[in-house]
Amino acid sequence: MTFTSTGRRGSGRAASQTRAARRGSTAKLALAALLGLGALLCAAALLYTSGHLISSSALRPENVLMVYVPIVLVRTFGFGKAVMQYLERLAGHSAALRVLSSLRGRLYRLVEPLAARPRSRVRTGDMLGLMAEDIERVQQLLLRFALPALIAAAAYTVGIAAIGRLDPGFAVFMACYAGYLLLGAPALALLGGRERRRRARQARRRAYTELTDAVFGMQDWMLSGRTREWLARFAEQRRHAAALEGGLRRRAWRMHWLSQCLSGVAIILLSLWAGGLAQQGAIGPTWIAAIALAGMPLLEALIRSGDATARVTDDAAALRRLRDTELEGERLAADDARSAAEAAAADAALAGHEVDGHAAGHPCELRLERVCYRYPGETGDTLRDLELHAPPGKRIAVLGRSGAGKSTLLSLLQGELAPTAGRALLGGHPLWAGADSQAHCAVLGQQPHLFDTTLAANIRIGRPEADDAAVMRAVRLAGLEPLVESLPMGLRTRVLEGGRRFSGGERQRIALARVILLDRPIVLLDEPAVGLDPRTEQALLRTLLQALEGRTLIWVTHHLTGMEAMDEIVFIDEGAITLRGTHRQLLQSSAHYRRLYRLDRPAAG
Amino acid sequence: MDRAWLELPGFRGLLLRLGLLTTLQAGAVMLQALGLAAAVATLFHGGTGAEAALGLALFGGGWCVRHTLIWLERRTADRFAERTAEALRVRLTETFFHMGPVAAAREGSGRLVTLAMDGIDRVRVYLELAIPRVIGMAVGTTLLIAAVAWLDAVSALILAVSLPVLIAFFILMGLAARRQADRQWQSHRLLAHHFTDALRGLRTLRELGRSRAHGRTVEAVSEQHRGATMRLLRVAFLSSFTLDFFSMLAVAFVAVGLGLRLIDGAIGLERALAVLVLAPEVFVPVRMLGTDYHASLDGKEAWADARRILDERRRPGGGASDQDGRPGVPLSDEREGETPASASPVGADACGVRARSPIRPFVVPPARVDRGVLPDLPSLHDVGVDGEDGPRLTGIRAELPPQALRIGIVGASGSGKSTLLDVLSGFVRPDRGELRLDGRTPGISEVESWQRRIAYIPQQPYLFARTLADNVRFYAPEAQDEEVRAAIEAANLGPLLRQLPDGLEARIGEGGRALSGGQAQRVALARALVGGRSTVLLDEPTAHLDIETEWELKATILQALHGKRMFIATHRLHWMADMDWVWVMERGRLVEAGTPAQLLERRGRYYSMLTNREEEGRDDIHIDRQAR
Repeated sequence: MTFTSTGRRGSGRAASQTRAARRGSTAKLALAALLGLGALLCAAALLYTSGHLISSSALRPENVLMVYVPIVLVRTFGFGKAVMQYLERLAGHSAALRVLSSLRGRLYRLVEPLAARPRSRVRTGDMLGLMAEDIERVQQLLLRFALPALIAAAAYTVGIAAIGRLDPGFAVFMACYAGYLLLGAPALALLGGRERRRRARQARRRAYTELTDAVFGMQDWMLSGRTREWLARFAEQRRHAAALEGGLRRRAWRMHWLSQCLSGVAIILLSLWAGGLAQQGAIGPTWIAAIALAGMPLLEALIRSGDATARVTDDAAALRRLRDTELEGERLAADDARSAAEAAAADAALAGHEVDGHAAGHPCELRLERVCYRYPGETGDTLRDLELHAPPGKRIAVLGRSGAGKSTLLSLLQGELAPTAGRALLGGHPLWAGADSQAHCAVLGQQPHLFDTTLAANIRIGRPEADDAAVMRAVRLAGLEPLVESLPMGLRTRVLEGGRRFSGGERQRIALARVILLDRPIVLLDEPAVGLDPRTEQALLRTLLQALEGRTLIWVTHHLTGMEAMDEIVFIDEGAITLRGTHRQLLQSSAHYRRLYRLDRPAAG
Repeated sequence: MDRAWLELPGFRGLLLRLGLLTTLQAGAVMLQALGLAAAVATLFHGGTGAEAALGLALFGGGWCVRHTLIWLERRTADRFAERTAEALRVRLTETFFHMGPVAAAREGSGRLVTLAMDGIDRVRVYLELAIPRVIGMAVGTTLLIAAVAWLDAVSALILAVSLPVLIAFFILMGLAARRQADRQWQSHRLLAHHFTDALRGLRTLRELGRSRAHGRTVEAVSEQHRGATMRLLRVAFLSSFTLDFFSMLAVAFVAVGLGLRLIDGAIGLERALAVLVLAPEVFVPVRMLGTDYHASLDGKEAWADARRILDERRRPGGGASDQDGRPGVPLSDEREGETPASASPVGADACGVRARSPIRPFVVPPARVDRGVLPDLPSLHDVGVDGEDGPRLTGIRAELPPQALRIGIVGASGSGKSTLLDVLSGFVRPDRGELRLDGRTPGISEVESWQRRIAYIPQQPYLFARTLADNVRFYAPEAQDEEVRAAIEAANLGPLLRQLPDGLEARIGEGGRALSGGQAQRVALARALVGGRSTVLLDEPTAHLDIETEWELKATILQALHGKRMFIATHRLHWMADMDWVWVMERGRLVEAGTPAQLLERRGRYYSMLTNREEEGRDDIHIDRQAR
């Protein structure tokens, strides 16, 4: 797919475009509703004119020409109904898809700054995948609920107005009567089943958890010897859930049945009313059949929209979730704006300091000075008084237990977070520059995402303008050459969804090629070898350290493999540095380090 | 019509009931049409409302009866579909256990859960919609045309001729849409998937500094997708357009024909009106079939998928994927008699003793003393296991000295370590050879009771969405809180327990408190300790953890499992120094066995693995050269 940049545009223009798109899609939706109404009226008019035609014919006119107009009209309406319905569906889908497009753009812009931030709700890919599904649901909501409801409301208005022209009194009566079908029945469907729906959802969720536990924890179930107990319980649970869900369905059908019977009565009333009018001479007797028949499709539209309401609740939940994400995005954007102002002030103060001898140093020099970080709303610091100094080319390994603060440290170095105390500097300037910060370093993470496109486009993703020679060089350095040569399509091979085609080690090498091509002076490695078998791990690390020779390296790792090649090894525990030094120093001075080293190299001890 | 319907229990009865309901419905529609026609005709000829009352009552009655019948039809079909789907769901979940964890993982555990939940729901919808629609089409349409013919033969002829034309066009248009969709499938899938792909990779994009620029692409591609979809829909909607168009055309033809014959006096008004009301009804079944066909397609697919899984398990010994999937635990077997606790010689008090002296991290476990001989000494006799691409284990012949309590299984990844554990645990029954316990070949029920004397700790243990206590006493739900606490202390989870505000009742697992990898291992360890299981199998328990956690966990495991027999499959060789016996695996074969000291002395593969760890990439050549 197109990963190439489409050029920078002002954000203001983008916003106004979104607004224009939203207006456009509203207009389209209205058009679809109009077409739907048109189709409905055609159906009504078809029956109306046919009823009239037959009645007029029954008067045995002298000449066929007397009924010629209704004959033509019958055909026209029949054709018109089919065409309009077709157009309505097209317009409806087009409008809904347009809404989806602009929604996607808006949500993407909102969550984009949060993606690499620790403890953000939208950090994991799965969470975001769910969001994509939620957006699809908006389409259902528009097409299955909003559009039929709009059409029904319009049909209601037209029908009542038509009656009102002949007999205002009866129109008021019918307005109330049909009003139940339009508003009363859906309201009852929504409110009445609420508790039951909640219980059904709960039962369903429980069954889902139960089954997940059984399938993923199957070994333990079998060893516990309790599989039959589980099966009996699951069957019982399903019976309960099925009864609840079935109850809801049967309830909806009862409501539907009631509405249908009411609409049958409405048609009887319409016929009686038309007959009365004809007796008074207000209308010709030929119109009785016409009126009775025309009522049917209009009433049907009301019932259809009512049925759709009962199914709408799940989609509405999706809409709520999207709204929550949007709110979180906006809140964080506001937080960022505030911190950005503070950072700018700090930077200005810093600029003053530089004059008195505090040299800015090399532009790629990383320095953390007594850095603390505390997550909003927490009482303790996640990082405490961290000192780190990395002149260009220095290689630092970071070790620590899970939860020690390693990922927070990486986010600080990436400039995704601003320290709550102390300073994080790159070339003498604060690392953090708000949501707009441009990446100054490359990151190789635990599970880099491979996009569903070609291998070449995946490697180019950080630098779309890179030429083929540069890509080939990155491929070579990342040790991907044998793999690429083994693929019949070479670099043009499509990476299947999530990179299923490649093994864990190969995926990491592709990501490494990206990082090499990106050519940043600072590279952060976030346990790139975790989960790989030792042989692949060894080979990957060898390639990695070779290919990134000469760059500043901050390497978060879980094993001691490769420590000999590091300029500094730092152990973090509960947010603070507990041990630091080179491999040789630590081997000499720290018994703890020696013990750990023996785990990795049992033969060395 | 689906052939598989015929095999469903109670299908014939359903067919009969639905057929009857459809016939009655046709009658009600007829009644309704005749009543309305009579009433309108009376009113038309200047009759009063009272005179028209009979006709109107007939119409109203017909209408209500019809909708009552529709309601009944739905309920009938729904009850049948629900019963069938729920029975299928239960059978499917039973089958999951028959498959065993290894085969289930190969099918994709997540996929199986989705199939059994959402998939089966769709099967219900499919059955609920498809069966009545097909019957409606077959019975309803015929009866309604017959009714029209009874009233007016000409109109019936028009309808009878237009119906096949309409269906033919409907199918043609459907095919055209399908062809177009197939042609565009690849590009369409890409466009549709693009946004999800962008979101899933958002973090990667952000880390590469490309996320901002990609935002513009997202919207552009989304618009492209809209364009492509609309092109597709223009054709796809044509099929329902043909339904609409031809049915409308047919009705219009009928109406005009009736009008002309009314002028001639060839037909009466009442009869003509009745035909006019009935004419659109003729097309209702086929239109409903058209609408619901697409709604139920994925249900049909899910049904086929579920039946495939059921069939594969039913077929004895057939199919390549069946090999690992032979029933690990036959569910039909009686097993109420014995309790797991009584089956084990090592009592729960062993845990209690240890709880009073919680171990400290970084303390090497005390020397192994007072080794009694444990029963349940497993041995393997010419065991072979086949995988999808070649054998996983070949000719494994392995016996253990009775006093060996800690057995290490080492080898590169893919050498068969995990499969060997699966054979030992009975999750996989070997294709050749056999597992023996204390020299005897166990029967099916003995394998089962063996399984209740072992515990299994995989690399990533599964935490159930329950309380901490229930997770720990999973193998022995009757265990008291004291025993659970003792196990938790022995697994060194005490600090975590004291952090939890709800203590033992704190929920962990999905939706509960998130635990780190090391903590999850400790929960699994505690689980293995409750209920006095005598043998513990560990599959690579520490390789993915950070090295400090690994060190601490190793100490805890060795201490806590003291007195039990443990098998540990790992490529982390540091474990081996603490083992009594080591099996070295290489490409599905057992190549060396002995105490660590013996193996070191032999200077064979174990020795070369230990000394050349950093050169593992070149290990293959090295080892092959040595073997020759």
